[in-house]
Amino acid sequence: MPLFLPTDLSETLALLADHPEARIMAGGTDLLVRLRAAGRTPGTLVCLERVAELGRIEALETATGPAVRIGAAATITDLLRSDTVRQRLPLLHRAASAFAAPTVRNAATIGGNICTASPAADTLPALHVMNASVELASRRGARILPMPHFVTGPGRTALEPDEVLTGVVVPVPRIFTIHHFEKVGQRQAMAIAVVSLTAMLAVEDGRIRDARLAWGSVGPTIVRCPEAEAILRGSRLTLTALTEAARAARRAVAPISDVRATADYRRQVAGNLLLRLADLPGRKPGS
Amino acid sequence: MQDIGRRSRRFDALDKARGTEQFATDIYPPDMLWAGALRAGVPHGIIRRIETARAEKVEGVVAVLTRKDVPGTNRQGFVYWDMPVLCGTRVRHAGDAVALVLAESRRALAEALRAIEMEIEPLPVVDTLDAALADDAPNIHGLDTGNVLKAATIAKGDAEAGLAECDVVVEETFYTPAQEHAFIETENGVARIDDDGTLHMTVSTQAPFRDRFEIGRALGLDPSRIHVTGPYLGGGFGGKDGATVQCLLALAAMHAKGRPVKMWWNREESMLAGYKRHAARMRFTAGAKRDGTLHAVRCELDYDTGAYAHLGVEIMALGMEHSGGPYRLPHLEAKGRCVYTNNPVAGAFRGFGVAQVSFAFEGMMDRLAHALGMDPLKFRLRNAITRGERNCAGVTMTTSTGMEECLLRLRDHPHWKSREAWRADAPPFTRRAVGVAAVFNGMGYGRGLADYAVAKVRLTGSGRIRVYNGVSDMGQGNASTFVQMAGEILCQPESVMELVQPDTDRTHPSGSAAAGRTTYTYGKALIKACETLRDKLFNRAALMLFVDDGSGFAMIPGGVRHLPTGRDLPLAALAAMMHPDDRISMAEHLMPVTPEPVRGGEAFTLGFPHLLFPYAAHLARIEVDELTGRVAVLDYVAFTDGGRVLNPQNFEQQVHGSVAQGLGYALTEDVLTEAGVLRSTDLCTYVIPTSLDLPDIESHAVETIEHTGPFGMKGIGEVGLNGPLPAVASALYSAGLPMTRAPFTFGRVLAALEDDQPGTGSEAAS
Amino acid sequence: MIVFTLNGIGQRLDVDPTLRALDVLREHCGLTGPKEGCGTGECGACAIWMDGVTRLSCLTLAGQLHGRAVTTIEGLADSWDENEATDTTDQPPLHPVQTALAERGGVQCGYCTPGMTMVAAELLRREPNPDRAAIREAVSGNLCRCTGYHKIVDSIEDAAETMRKKR
Repeated sequence: MPLFLPTDLSETLALLADHPEARIMAGGTDLLVRLRAAGRTPGTLVCLERVAELGRIEALETATGPAVRIGAAATITDLLRSDTVRQRLPLLHRAASAFAAPTVRNAATIGGNICTASPAADTLPALHVMNASVELASRRGARILPMPHFVTGPGRTALEPDEVLTGVVVPVPRIFTIHHFEKVGQRQAMAIAVVSLTAMLAVEDGRIRDARLAWGSVGPTIVRCPEAEAILRGSRLTLTALTEAARAARRAVAPISDVRATADYRRQVAGNLLLRLADLPGRKPGS
Repeated sequence: MQDIGRRSRRFDALDKARGTEQFATDIYPPDMLWAGALRAGVPHGIIRRIETARAEKVEGVVAVLTRKDVPGTNRQGFVYWDMPVLCGTRVRHAGDAVALVLAESRRALAEALRAIEMEIEPLPVVDTLDAALADDAPNIHGLDTGNVLKAATIAKGDAEAGLAECDVVVEETFYTPAQEHAFIETENGVARIDDDGTLHMTVSTQAPFRDRFEIGRALGLDPSRIHVTGPYLGGGFGGKDGATVQCLLALAAMHAKGRPVKMWWNREESMLAGYKRHAARMRFTAGAKRDGTLHAVRCELDYDTGAYAHLGVEIMALGMEHSGGPYRLPHLEAKGRCVYTNNPVAGAFRGFGVAQVSFAFEGMMDRLAHALGMDPLKFRLRNAITRGERNCAGVTMTTSTGMEECLLRLRDHPHWKSREAWRADAPPFTRRAVGVAAVFNGMGYGRGLADYAVAKVRLTGSGRIRVYNGVSDMGQGNASTFVQMAGEILCQPESVMELVQPDTDRTHPSGSAAAGRTTYTYGKALIKACETLRDKLFNRAALMLFVDDGSGFAMIPGGVRHLPTGRDLPLAALAAMMHPDDRISMAEHLMPVTPEPVRGGEAFTLGFPHLLFPYAAHLARIEVDELTGRVAVLDYVAFTDGGRVLNPQNFEQQVHGSVAQGLGYALTEDVLTEAGVLRSTDLCTYVIPTSLDLPDIESHAVETIEHTGPFGMKGIGEVGLNGPLPAVASALYSAGLPMTRAPFTFGRVLAALEDDQPGTGSEAAS
Repeated sequence: MIVFTLNGIGQRLDVDPTLRALDVLREHCGLTGPKEGCGTGECGACAIWMDGVTRLSCLTLAGQLHGRAVTTIEGLADSWDENEATDTTDQPPLHPVQTALAERGGVQCGYCTPGMTMVAAELLRREPNPDRAAIREAVSGNLCRCTGYHKIVDSIEDAAETMRKKR
C-alpha cells in the first residue's frame, strides 16, 4: 500500500487530486490510532512531514495588526520551542505544554490537532479565543476560514476531499493582560481534556475591559459564552462576578458523559474553573 | 562484591539498560506462525453458530480451531477448573476465547479473525454483585449455591458480644474497583512441538512449573513432555500467575506441524481477556472502648471474581484473614463470599485480597478515632499488634512483628509533626491534609499448599558459579538477589556469577513468583545449597593440597585459601578436578506454617492462614482542589518492616513500585464495565500514573530480624501496595471528605466537597 | 525500497511502507530493543530516534524511515562521542543514561527501559542541566509500572552530572 512523502505543496496537492482515496497523515498520532481501533490497514496515505513550507512558524504583519502564521505540519514540539509562539501567543504555548507528552508532541502537529476536530483538542480553545483562521489549499485554489467555520462538529470539518490545511494564522492578542489556561484531565500527562478553560482578560485599573472565554470538552465543538464574557466586561475580578459568569457558562455548555467524566461534572467544573481567575490574596490571577 | 546488605546494582540491570535482554516477546523463531484468539465480545450467551469457512480461505491462514479441536478437558484454573480454553456453547464474559487462528502473518491473522462468523444468543448479563446474588439471578456456572462460588465465616472471640461492650461503634460500607495489572509487556509466548512430540514453550509467566500441568490437563498432554522456559518478565504483579496464553498457544502448536507459533496479546486484548484485581464490597462494623482500645470488628466481604474462579476463594480468604487490621483485636467475625459475575475475570494481584480490606479496616480506624476524639495515629499505635500476641485472625505472632516500630518512626517524621501548620498554609481553593495508614500482608502460600523451593548451584567447568533460579523474575529482582546471596556465601564477585532463569528442564520446581515468598523460600534453599557447595569445595581442595580435611579453608574471590598454609587454589583448578555431578549442589526449603487453628478456617483447604507478615506505616500529604475535585499527592513516606534488608536499592524499588501502583489504585485506576462490556479498553481509558502524577517516594526500612528468613529478610513485594489507598483516604477523611468508594476520582471528590460545604461548590452552581 | 541508516549502518528494505516502523525494526531488522506496550502511543516503550529526535515507532510507518538516520537503544551508546573514555572492558560501551539507570536502580522489569532511555538521552543532549521537574516532564510519555519513577529520575539526574563532567 502506498505511502507518499511529498516534499512541497504543489506535489501534495497533485497527489491529493490524483488519489481521491488517499488520506492525509500529518503526525499520525491520531489517525493511526483510529485506524487500529477500526481494525483497518492504513490504505493510501499522503504524509505531510517532509513538506518544508508546511512546517514553518513565522511572525507576520497583517492589515489588522501583527499575527503569527503556523504551518499545518509544525509539530507541537515546534510550537513549544518557538520563541515567537512563546512570546506572542502564550495561550497556545500553554496549551501545547499540556498536550499529551513529549513523545507524542514530537510527531503530533497543529494541523492534525485542528483537523481531528475533537472537542477535547488541546490547541483549539486558544485558537478560538485568539480569532485564528485556517488556510486551505487545493489544486482548485486557496481559501481562508475562521476557526469556528472550519470545525463544524466533533470530528467534522469543512475540509474538502482534495484539500489540505496548510496553516493557521493567529492574530497576536494585544490588549489582554491575563492569559489563562487550565486543563482538567485524569492525570498530568497523556491526558485527554475532561474540561478546559482558556481565557483572555484585559484588565485595566482593576476593571475587566474585555474578556474572551472558550471551553474544551463540554460540547460538540469548542464552546464560547458571550453571556459570561458580557457579565465580566466592566466588572472587577471578584468571586461574585466570576460566580455569575460561571452560572452563565454552565447554561452555555452542552457536555456528554463518557468513560472519563459525567456531563454533570463537566458542567459544574466548566463554571468552577472561572473562579480560578479571582484576584485573591496569595494568588495572582492568570498565573 | 555483592555483599548482603550493600546497596548494589542489580545483576540484570545492565542487559536491560542495553536493550539486549531477551523477553519472551523478543523471540521470533524462523518460519514461525502467528496465533490469535477470537473473543466473544458478548458477556453472557449461548454460542449458536461459529462458521470458520471464510476465515480458512484467507490467504496465509494455516488453521482455524474451535472447541471441537481441543483434545483434553478444555478446562483451566488453579483449584476450580472452570475456565474453558475455547468456549463450546456457553460464553461467560466478553473476553472468552471462542476460536483460535494460526496464520503466516499478523495481517492474515487479523483478517481471518474478522472473517469468522459467530452467532451468540445473549443471556441476561450479571454485571454486579447484587445482580449475581439476587434470587432469580441467572446461574453462571450452575452451582447449587447459585453464583456464590464460596461462602465462609471466620471468627475470633465473640464479635456480637464484643460490639455490645464498646463505647463507640461505627458502621460503613466500602467499595473498591477492579484494577488492571498494566504490566508494560502484555501476555505472550512462543511454542513449538519438536519431532519427539515434546512441547517447548517460552512464555511470560510467573509459574512455569505449574503451567505444564495446566496445559497438560486442558489439552490432554503429558506434563512431562512439556518444557517451559520463563525468561525475565516485563512485569507481572500477579497477572501472569495462571494461564494466559499458555493453553491457547499449546493448542496452536499442536496444529502447526512442528513450526513455531507466537501469540502476543495486544494491549486491547490484554485489557479484555487478562485478569484483574477483584472488585469488592465490604460492610464493616467496628467498635472501641473509650480509652482507645480497639475491641470488635464484624464484616461482610463480597469479592467479584468475574466469570471464573482463578484464585478468587484464596483471595477472599486473605481478605478475611486481614480484615481486622494489624491490630490487637479480641473479637472478629468476618464473613466472605466469592461471587461469579459476567465481568472480566479477576485473579491474583499484588496485595491479594488484602489491598481491598486495607481500605476498609483503616477507614474504620479513622472513623473510630474521630468518634473517640483521638488522634488517628495515636489510636493506631495504641492498638498495633506486637510479637507474641494473637493477630486479628487468632494466629500467634511468633515471628518478627514491626508494626508498632513503623508507626513510631512515622510519628517522628517532620511531615507528621508539621501537619497542622502545613494544612493551615493551603492556597486558595485548596484543602491540604495528611493521612496515615497501617498495613500488613501475609507472606507465603499459607497452610495446605507446601511453600517450597529447590535450589541448585553449580561450579562450572571453567570455575564460575552458576545459580539455577527456579522462580520467575517479573521485575521484582529475586534473580539478582539470588546471585547476591550465592556471592555472599561463596565470596565471589558478580563477574564470576552466572544465572539460569526458570526452565523446567534445567531448574527445579520452586513454586510461583507470588505471595512475597520468592526470595524468602528459594533464598533459604539457595543458602543451604551454597553452603553445601562451599563445604564440598573445601573438602576437594583438601584433597588437592594434601591436607587433612576441609577445615581451615576460606572462600576468596576466584578460589579458596588454605589459611594455615596461605595457599590459594583457583576455582578453575578445583573445577577441572571435580566430576561434573560433583560440582552441583542442591537443597530445598519449606516455609513454616502455623499449627494454630483459626475458627472457621477449615473452610479453606489451602492458602489460609499465614504465619509471617511484613508490616508498613504510610503517610500521604495531599492537596484537594476545591474547584475540580482533583487530589494531588505531594509527598509520600513509607516505613516498612521487611526484616533485614539485603540490598537497600532493591528494597526501595519494591516500596516505590508498590506505592506507585497503590496510588494509581487510590486515585484513577478503575476497570470500568457497562453491562459486562469493558469500557476501559486501552491505556488511554485505563489511567495509570505517569511521572507527573507521582511524588518522590520516601522509603525507610524499619529493620527487624526475621529469624526464619534468609539473612533475616521477609518479602515486601505486596505490603506496600496496601498502604496508599487507605493513607489517601485517611487524608481526605481528615479534610472533611469521608470517601467510601475508590478510586477517588475528581468527580467523586467534587461530590464529596459539595456534600461537605453546601456553601462553596454548589453556591457557584445554584 | 526503504533506504535509511540504522544505528549508523545503511539499510535497504523491501517491505510494505505502511507497516509499523516498530514491527519492521523488530521483525525485519532483528532489533528487539524497542518494545511494544500499547500500540497507541500511550506508553513510550517503542521510542527510537529519527534524525536524533525521539519518535514513537508504533505510530511511525516504515516508509517514514526512508532517508532518515534511525537510532535504537542498541545503537545509543555508539551515538555518544565520549564513549572511548568509558570503553575499558570487553563489555559493549554504554551511554551514561544506561549506566545510571542500571547503577541507580532505575531498572526493574526493564520493559520500559529502552524507550525511557532514548527519551532521557535526547533530553540530556538538548538540556544538560535539567531539574527533577524537567526530567519528570520529559519522560511523562513513558509509562513505567515498576518503579514509581523516583529512581528513574535519580538515574537521569546522575547521568546528566556524568555528561556535564565529561564535556
